[in-house]
Amino acid sequence: MLTSTLALPRLAWRNLWRHRRRTLLLLLVVAYATLTIVLFWGINDGFIQSILYGNARYLGAPVLITTPAYFQDPDPEQGLPSLGFLSQVETQPGVRAAAPRLEFPGLVRSAYAAEAVRVRGVEPALEARVSRIPSAITQGRMLEKPGEVVLGQQLAERLDVRLGERVVLDTSALAGPQALGLQVVGLVRSGVAPVDRGAVLVHLGDARRLTGLATATAVALDVPRGQESRLARALNLELPPGLRAYDLSQLLGGLAEALQTRQGSVFLIGLLFSLFAALAVTSTVLVSVLERTREFGIMEAIGMSPQRLAQVVTLETILATALGWGAGLVLGYALNYWMAVQNVLGPVFASYGAAWEILGTGSEIYTAQSPWYALFAATIIVLAALFLILIPARRVLALNPAEAMRTE
Amino acid sequence: MNLRLLLLLGLLCLGPAGAATDPQAVLKAIVDNQRGGSLRATLTLSITRPERQTQFVLEVVSDGNDRAITWVKAPPKEAGQAFLRVGDNIQLYNPSLKRVLRLPPSGRSDSFLGSDLSYSDLAGRDLEQDFIPRVETESDSSITLELIPKPQAPTPYGKLVLLASKPGFVPREVRYYDQRGQAVRKITFAQFAQVGGQSFPTQTTVEDLLRPGHRTQVVYSNYRFGIAVPESCFSVRALEAGC
Repeated sequence: MLTSTLALPRLAWRNLWRHRRRTLLLLLVVAYATLTIVLFWGINDGFIQSILYGNARYLGAPVLITTPAYFQDPDPEQGLPSLGFLSQVETQPGVRAAAPRLEFPGLVRSAYAAEAVRVRGVEPALEARVSRIPSAITQGRMLEKPGEVVLGQQLAERLDVRLGERVVLDTSALAGPQALGLQVVGLVRSGVAPVDRGAVLVHLGDARRLTGLATATAVALDVPRGQESRLARALNLELPPGLRAYDLSQLLGGLAEALQTRQGSVFLIGLLFSLFAALAVTSTVLVSVLERTREFGIMEAIGMSPQRLAQVVTLETILATALGWGAGLVLGYALNYWMAVQNVLGPVFASYGAAWEILGTGSEIYTAQSPWYALFAATIIVLAALFLILIPARRVLALNPAEAMRTE
Repeated sequence: MNLRLLLLLGLLCLGPAGAATDPQAVLKAIVDNQRGGSLRATLTLSITRPERQTQFVLEVVSDGNDRAITWVKAPPKEAGQAFLRVGDNIQLYNPSLKRVLRLPPSGRSDSFLGSDLSYSDLAGRDLEQDFIPRVETESDSSITLELIPKPQAPTPYGKLVLLASKPGFVPREVRYYDQRGQAVRKITFAQFAQVGGQSFPTQTTVEDLLRPGHRTQVVYSNYRFGIAVPESCFSVRALEAGC
């Protein structure tokens, strides 16, 4: 009976529940480690997605169509030759909205101070469909007509201007040095430092008047999350010569590379988590083996070979860790899902203040969900099995039944 | 009494005040006094701060309209710097770098030689173009104009109050108010030179009313008005070589 293939798992399973407290302890250790790993990756990926999402929605766009020259040197002189392609882009499957933008460097002045800024000329109704800045206006309203300006709240504070007051915008582009007085109609408080410190939104008509560019410097597209690269590639096959669609990772440039580099180090941290969890499992099993020396001695005395015994111990551990893993996954994914639909992390991270706002995540941070997290957590089982073969199983193999039976 | 007669009576009642002073014409007369025509002069720029005082000697050549070139002559540490304004374009010559730089829009609010004047002031736009004048008070010896910015006029101020003496509408003082009614800056004019029937102020003092003790005074000397200024004076080459 003992020699049959199925007998070992059955014996291991029975042994697990003969030592309930020990098994529950092992199960708890693994469940906790699994939950931690699932949450760790969920928060990490969610955080990175929040940075990308924040940068896309507040600072850039999920996909941006412009000229390669403007992409290299963002000067209005390198702007779009025409906006004739706009209707073609709007009908592209997956493109939810397209908004022309005219961005240019300028100087914004009040009666008390002046600040160098990057100005974004927008079509007010369309911009709200591709950017979150309009929805982050906490005082006043979004632009409605030319002659108005929306400022980041911190910028307005530095300039000491209030709603309804006038600021002057100076620039020098195709039209030569130009200046315009604009009435402040809205203040943005997004929780994204570059936006709150420097956002300047003006009507596209005013931007055209100031720069002398009759078109726009780019067209921002709203596309479903995760579809940015695919749609940019598809658009590049359709766009007229001299225009290119850039996806989020291309638009973010250095930031995207930095995030990828960071992912490498985060993976190592995740592996360390698994390693510590596996060591905790191994030490629990080792204590259990030491406590069960007499029992093992009897089992060997009644005919079980040391190899079989070692296999039973390893199987017991694998079953217990698998159960703990399963329980940890259920709890981890449930908690992760809750934090993916509720903005639990946003207020927590917001408490770090300005140091956090500079990353551009916005005030909402959600966890990410991926089946890969289950696999990452499974490394605990693999590592625990490896350590078991190295330490407790070898101890079982070296057991002398006569001595073992005398052990108290 | 018919309607035509009523209108005539109304016009007669309003007539004397309206006909006496056209605010636009007064503003033009004041601005004309400030322009003075083509000029070559030495300027002494005195900058007063609560803790120190600095003085620069400049030489300026202007066509009296929108072109001017300025060289710094003293102190020796700053000498050699030069500034060329053609319309709204300003270029700077840096003798250390031996290079001419175009002033970017972001640099226009920078202080000119650390004074209370900014580069924007040097490229100052016409008051007539950006403001709607209204006579605030008027007497036999003076007139006060209130200048309200036109819609979208490139000025951050809520209003300007311009005081001029009569006859001749000689500019005496300009007060700049923010949009909350607080005076933030004051420019006073003194020591007038008679140039072709106009009074040109040869002493201008700029005071920052928000920062007590911050004052800049510009005094013209060795001035010659109405001279013929060669075109080459307003070139990039003249920044380094002079003219």
